[in-house]
Amino acid sequence: MRKIAVISLILSLLAIALVANARTFDTEVPAPPMIGATIGNFTLPDTSGASHSLDSLKGKNGTVLIFIAVQCPVSNAYNERMEKLAQDYKAKGINVIGINSNLSETAADVRDHAASHNLTFTILKDEGNKIADTLGAGRTPEAYFLDAKSTLLYHGRIDNSRDITQVNSSELRDALDAALAGKPVPKSTASAFGCSIKRA
Amino acid sequence: MFRKFRTARRRIISGGVLVLLMGSLFSSPVLAQRKTAHTRRKPATTAPAKARAINVEELKALLKRDRNRPLLVNWWATWCNPCREEFPELVKIDGDYRAKGLDFIAISLDDLADLKTAVPQFIREMKATMPIYLLNVQDPDPVINYVDGKWGGDLPATFLYNNNGEVVYKHFGRINTPELRAAIEKLLGNKQ
Repeated sequence: MRKIAVISLILSLLAIALVANARTFDTEVPAPPMIGATIGNFTLPDTSGASHSLDSLKGKNGTVLIFIAVQCPVSNAYNERMEKLAQDYKAKGINVIGINSNLSETAADVRDHAASHNLTFTILKDEGNKIADTLGAGRTPEAYFLDAKSTLLYHGRIDNSRDITQVNSSELRDALDAALAGKPVPKSTASAFGCSIKRA
Repeated sequence: MFRKFRTARRRIISGGVLVLLMGSLFSSPVLAQRKTAHTRRKPATTAPAKARAINVEELKALLKRDRNRPLLVNWWATWCNPCREEFPELVKIDGDYRAKGLDFIAISLDDLADLKTAVPQFIREMKATMPIYLLNVQDPDPVINYVDGKWGGDLPATFLYNNNGEVVYKHFGRINTPELRAAIEKLLGNKQ
């Protein structure tokens, strides 16, 4: 009996030591889908645990997926802009969906953050960063615009600057407006500096 | 007598294993990081490096090919937590390899307004000695594509260039120190 207890104690300590020594490094971010690729349906829980599929959330004219974070100052600099985007395009049939894939941020963190920053659009929790891997998302904020058939039309930044006073190009809005007008998206990709997504 | 000896031997072995495990636990990176965080708050005692704002052309000149010395480039910002976490390790790498032939520059993506406040304060705290620049651009997209077509702009990001200006190692996100050191050793011709 005592022998079993000693072995259990040793195994427990070994597990703790291994976890403590396991340093987490960001792994390679998979390549994103090509512009024009169809994004397959997926299902993720919201911050209350209720499951939602992409098909059930998408707008009749398309969907914007934005990888966001609780602690990233760049993502937080866009909170008001993201909420405004969601409000402006909801009536035009394009829904905005937030996705949090950060290992270090829990569903409760995301829920509290959304409440305190008045983010009213649906935010999904991507445990294990499966959808971030599928879409090749590496940073926050990072946006994807899919048309009504879930074809990827735009991937990249929201606009050119986290400082709203320095914004002079809004590639995401330009993409949405072009698609709604039945025109080609003027610029289908654009990068910006942001916080790396903390992966599992 | 023999049973007593066996029991005592088991206790010694169990105790030894426990001591080793506890040692491993307390020397773990988790606790080391806490120590680093504590160290970070200490005031600097050595002369710090200075940061200078650069534009795209100046950046391209810094990254130009045919440098005749390997170059390590770290992209960071004071608002980026993993950047802050990895910086002490980068300062140590600079100290260990500069005399052995490695150039190292760090490029901050902070706002221009931070050039005289948050950036120098961070440099002082880190006791950084490598040249540090703040990239001042309106549109980061061309810069990110110029540096690496597969980079989305996520920070931190670290690139190691050989003498010809070719990328021989890159890492997006917090550095893997042993991996980076091995890449530097290999580049400098000291295979581990």
